[in-house]
Amino acid sequence: MKIKAEYAEESAQQVVDAAETRWSGTSLHAEVRHHKSGMKRPYVFINCPKNHWRSVAKWLRFEMSVDHCSMITGTHWPEGPDEKKWEIVAHLMRMNVINPPERGGWTEQVIRDPAILQNDDVPMEFEISISIPDTRRPSVPSVQEVWMGADWNEKETWDLVGIEFDGHEGMRRVLLPHDTPVGYHPLQREHKIRYHDAEIMYDDMQGFGRKPADDGKVK
Amino acid sequence: MTDEEQSYSVFNSQALIDTVGDSASAGLEASRIKKFISVLGGRFFNWGQRKSLFPLHLGIKCCALEMAAAGGSRFDAERFGVFFRSSPRQCDVLIVNGPISKKFADPIVRLWEQMPEPKWCIAMGECAISGGPYYQSYNILEGVDTIIPVDVYIPGCPPRPEALIDGFQHLRKKIMRIGTTPSTTRDDDAPIIVGDQ
Amino acid sequence: MGPQHPMTHGLWTLKVKVDGETVVDTIPDLGYIHRGVEKICESRDFTKITTYCDRLCYASANTWAHSYIYSAEDLLEVEVPARAEHIRVIAVELQRIASHLMWLGAFCPDIGNLTAFVWCLREREMMMDLLQELGGSRLHYNFPRIGGVKRDLPIGFAMRARAKLNLFLNRVQETEQMLDESTVFLVRTQGVGYAKPEEMVNHGVTGPNVRAGGVNYDVRWAHPYSVYDELDWEVSVERPSIKGADSYDRYRVRVDEMRQSARMCLDALDKMPGGAETHYTEGDPMILTKARERAEEGKTGFHHFEDSRGESMFYLAGGGDQRGKHPYRISIRSPMFLTIPYAAKCMIGHKVADIPAIMGSFDPCIGETDR
Repeated sequence: MKIKAEYAEESAQQVVDAAETRWSGTSLHAEVRHHKSGMKRPYVFINCPKNHWRSVAKWLRFEMSVDHCSMITGTHWPEGPDEKKWEIVAHLMRMNVINPPERGGWTEQVIRDPAILQNDDVPMEFEISISIPDTRRPSVPSVQEVWMGADWNEKETWDLVGIEFDGHEGMRRVLLPHDTPVGYHPLQREHKIRYHDAEIMYDDMQGFGRKPADDGKVK
Repeated sequence: MTDEEQSYSVFNSQALIDTVGDSASAGLEASRIKKFISVLGGRFFNWGQRKSLFPLHLGIKCCALEMAAAGGSRFDAERFGVFFRSSPRQCDVLIVNGPISKKFADPIVRLWEQMPEPKWCIAMGECAISGGPYYQSYNILEGVDTIIPVDVYIPGCPPRPEALIDGFQHLRKKIMRIGTTPSTTRDDDAPIIVGDQ
Repeated sequence: MGPQHPMTHGLWTLKVKVDGETVVDTIPDLGYIHRGVEKICESRDFTKITTYCDRLCYASANTWAHSYIYSAEDLLEVEVPARAEHIRVIAVELQRIASHLMWLGAFCPDIGNLTAFVWCLREREMMMDLLQELGGSRLHYNFPRIGGVKRDLPIGFAMRARAKLNLFLNRVQETEQMLDESTVFLVRTQGVGYAKPEEMVNHGVTGPNVRAGGVNYDVRWAHPYSVYDELDWEVSVERPSIKGADSYDRYRVRVDEMRQSARMCLDALDKMPGGAETHYTEGDPMILTKARERAEEGKTGFHHFEDSRGESMFYLAGGGDQRGKHPYRISIRSPMFLTIPYAAKCMIGHKVADIPAIMGSFDPCIGETDR
């Protein structure tokens, strides 16, 4: 029991075409990508500029029925290209199996045969990448009111990475202790882990290459 | 007792208790029974303490599952007198079975202080001994012995339930040796590491 | 309800505002075992991160290790042979059964049924014995490798696994019968903790919780990976009442999932392709040396995986030449991180005594929440 591959490809291509036509003048770029290994179905990748993020999110939610916000995470690229010093990556999914499809005039309440799902009913993964060029105060509009799942994801991203979300209500520390100093976001590149400069004794996997300081020692 | 409240009844309770207590104590000391009773009573209490260790129902991380398995039917810990209690006021042993983060350092010290004397602490698993695989983390303390005095260390990641029961056995031997010294004045020159002997 | 509480199944605080006995507002407070795994793994080799992923959610360690390995294979473009995929499925499904048994064994004492605790731990010991034969340890196996699995099935494993799984299928009927005929269990779990499916999906809840609401979404059929599309199994979905899914529905979904997992294991054992030395890819024995070219800067890999509690995902960003064998960024999506605030909202309107029934039925595991 599985989604038919052709339907999934069609559905992904439909989303990509709709996105490209709707934001055709901007630097938004959408494409269908395939996983290199593991998953056998395509996913939609959208590279979205920062100021369009909220409208893209609303379009995805209400017109493409992407109803599940899986994860919103951020990365700090201090040595990256100038327009990508910080990056937000949002993973969304279209579950869309609540509205049952019709087949021969009879609606299937609980999908028993996923091979019948087509077009907008096919579950689809989305990966949306937003590059942020700022270096002082990186910020991105918040999509808290579009998906409720974005709420805690954004709190965690701010907590650990330090990217602000404009319009997010109730931003607070969720994983770090509440009395952490303001401005301390551990996943930024300048913070190092404890003992980060300790030499790992055996860097090779099998342990064959011994360092001269280890002469006479038993492994 | 002041003179105004002096009543002339022989059965004035405080004076009666003092009299009986002092004379009995003097008599017992003279016949050296007091020493005999205190030795016997001490050994009896020691036996009671070590045969019924009540750990706290605290499950921090993976080793808590092995602690729960030790309480299950395959590695039954209850046959050794070990019975898990939920309230720290009713416990003897604090089993620390996971890494202590900075946020949890305060609550665990409070749990330790809420436990009445005599009490012992078992550090179970690598994370509690020295930070474990997370020793480089920005949020984890390097071992619970930075904040709480530990009596028995049980290495393993996670240690098997048999190792936990063996750790209780080592704790019992230690209790037999040190008796009921309060945890603040215990020497920590002999913290036991299960697996060394 | 503070960090040390027998009900919470983990270390987190639930601040509850009550009006008499009725819950008015709840705020969950997480982070008591935040270990900074994402930061630590940025300085570990790709092959060494599997040990950390085992310890993320300790009740179902194998599923998280496999979740990471699939993402790493996506980033490093590694092919996995068919026999290894079948062995992986067996390991994952056995672990799913063990995880659900642990859940049931921890959930029932909260309801008041202490017998189920001992029964479920006894079944779990059976599953852990099988997993110990595969992986070597009782709780953290470090079983999958990038490109395959650690070692092939031991001799006689299929015979022992079939015997134990058939015994398990009989015993789970006993446990189910005991719970379904127990009035206390039924009264305490039915009618509490209603969760509407549209809200759940919007919130990001996945897995058995959302399947109890009637949403037939399972990553194993929606975005098929591994050999799930060739095995013979059915998704366990409950049809709830119009008010939403209550705790009883969530319990039924998990018991049914245990049966389906046992069925999948038996089927995978039947359909296992033969071949010696095919439990690991032949062409990629030294994947670490190739990690520099395979995972260049800007390249990412991610994989949605059906974990026992929902949909878990690892997002890996490669670092290219300057980082070598370490990933540049590893980001972990934990299903429970979004479910716990949602479950805290489900409690509003019920009594304080219903809090363990609702919280336990969502199956919280704090190890993955506070990574």
